Amino acid sequence: MLAVLKRDLRGYFTSPLGYVFIAAFLVVVNTMFYMNNIMGAISDISGVFAFMQFILIFTVPLLTMRLFSEEFKQKTDQLLLTSPTSVFQIVLGKFLAALAMFTVAMLFTLLYLVIIAAFGQPNIKQVLANYIAIYCVAAAFLSIGLFLSSITENQLISAVLTMAVFLALYIIDYSGIGQYNAVLANFLYAISMFRRYSNIGRGVLAVSDLLYYISVAAIFLFLTTRVIEKKRWS
Amino acid sequence: MIEVCQLTKVYGDKRGVDNISFMVKEGEIVGFLGPNGAGKTTTMNIITGYLSATSGQAKVAGIDVLEDPIAAKRHIGYLPEHPPLYLDMKVSEYLDFVYELKGASMPNRRRHISEICELVGIEQVYGRVIKNLSKGYRQRVGLAQALIGNPDVLILDEPTVGLDPRQIVEIRNVIKELGRKRTVILSTHILPEVEAICERVLVINRGKIIADDAPQNLAANVAGEHKLALRVAGPKNSVISVIRGIDGVRAVTPLADREKGASDLLVESLPAIDIRKPMFNALAKAGYPILMMRPQDMSLEDIFISLTEEGAAQTESKGA
Repeated sequence: MLAVLKRDLRGYFTSPLGYVFIAAFLVVVNTMFYMNNIMGAISDISGVFAFMQFILIFTVPLLTMRLFSEEFKQKTDQLLLTSPTSVFQIVLGKFLAALAMFTVAMLFTLLYLVIIAAFGQPNIKQVLANYIAIYCVAAAFLSIGLFLSSITENQLISAVLTMAVFLALYIIDYSGIGQYNAVLANFLYAISMFRRYSNIGRGVLAVSDLLYYISVAAIFLFLTTRVIEKKRWS
Repeated sequence: MIEVCQLTKVYGDKRGVDNISFMVKEGEIVGFLGPNGAGKTTTMNIITGYLSATSGQAKVAGIDVLEDPIAAKRHIGYLPEHPPLYLDMKVSEYLDFVYELKGASMPNRRRHISEICELVGIEQVYGRVIKNLSKGYRQRVGLAQALIGNPDVLILDEPTVGLDPRQIVEIRNVIKELGRKRTVILSTHILPEVEAICERVLVINRGKIIADDAPQNLAANVAGEHKLALRVAGPKNSVISVIRGIDGVRAVTPLADREKGASDLLVESLPAIDIRKPMFNALAKAGYPILMMRPQDMSLEDIFISLTEEGAAQTESKGA
């Protein structure tokens, strides 16, 4: 698992992909921080973090699109799958590599705290809650992306599919579908990825919300493992 | 070391591998021979656990590859048809990665990897990015990958594809050398390769094993008789009549003459009789010196064609 994690993490930096991800992510999030916190002169970073979730729709596919599809295309999956490593460990290694890459980008956001601390008093508990929440969201998104990369050997298809799925989830949350039907509304809220996050923005870090994101991540890691295992039987 | 029992793999409605069974003993070098699409790669992919069989089982070192895949895979080094290389990595990084992936634990990792590099001849490209390597070097890096961790079973799918003639000879020698301590299965559709490396050949066609023997025996069985190419100094007709008079000669066919004043002939004898001495004596007595005598074994090429044609004819008659 560690070998796969190391290789894929290094893979982000030997191609432009890792740099493009960091650049795209930070340009938008930093601008948001400037507009929200510096221009607005507020010390609460929840707004920036809530917006981060939206940016992940477009940047997560960059991280996940080639994790498996490229292996299939280059036939390097033959090396992975004939090595004495279980499929789940390979999947987990790739997932953690993507999460590690996300962490690299997130390290830059620690600067926000430095800036806020220079002018005021950051609320440590609130900051911590925001970081925990965004990590749970990222884990869920990355595992969905990883899953979609395991079903095709074309990176582009995998990326577009991932983005489409995220956008669809976003539209469900904010289009007002189900506003006249209580059952449907409840159901949609139950599977909501985005609206759920607004609780956290209000300062309520509910265990149920975090569990939801972690479960999504776990389910898609499991599904990815199954998809790869099933390939042997085709 | 390797046991394959009634293995069948069905793709849709096509049988890629059809009820194949064979065993490979420890230390044997076995060649899979067959045309493209015969089922060689599928069989190898099943043994290495990359594919699962529709029915039947495969065991490596006594371990069923389906029941305990991880333990079975520890014994196997696999070079697939298309070497599984990460093009964006350096050779050194790649081999390190494979070492870790396989969870190999050699007493001295650096030395282990450098020994393998020396063996397959990739020291010069050790620090280069794989993307920039030629096909021949990529193939060798693929072979190096299979050797990492010193597996006792090597499965090589067309290991000499894409190499130039000198490299082919080198790699064959490497494989022979490796085969002293390990069990090796290699597949190829190049016949001289099997003759050069393997102790045993499995001929596969249309998913079935149609022959299983040592390369020499295979030739003897199918040929059934011996042929000698002969060059004798003397007029053709009288030479032929002298040879016809020898016991055990079945046929004499004149060939195109290559040398002035000499006749080239092809002499076929009955299987059990060695006619070389009587022929020498008879021709010497008649005053026609033999300039050249060369046994003409049926090449694997001929055997292969005759075997696959038989197989094809059989399946066709069954279908009709």
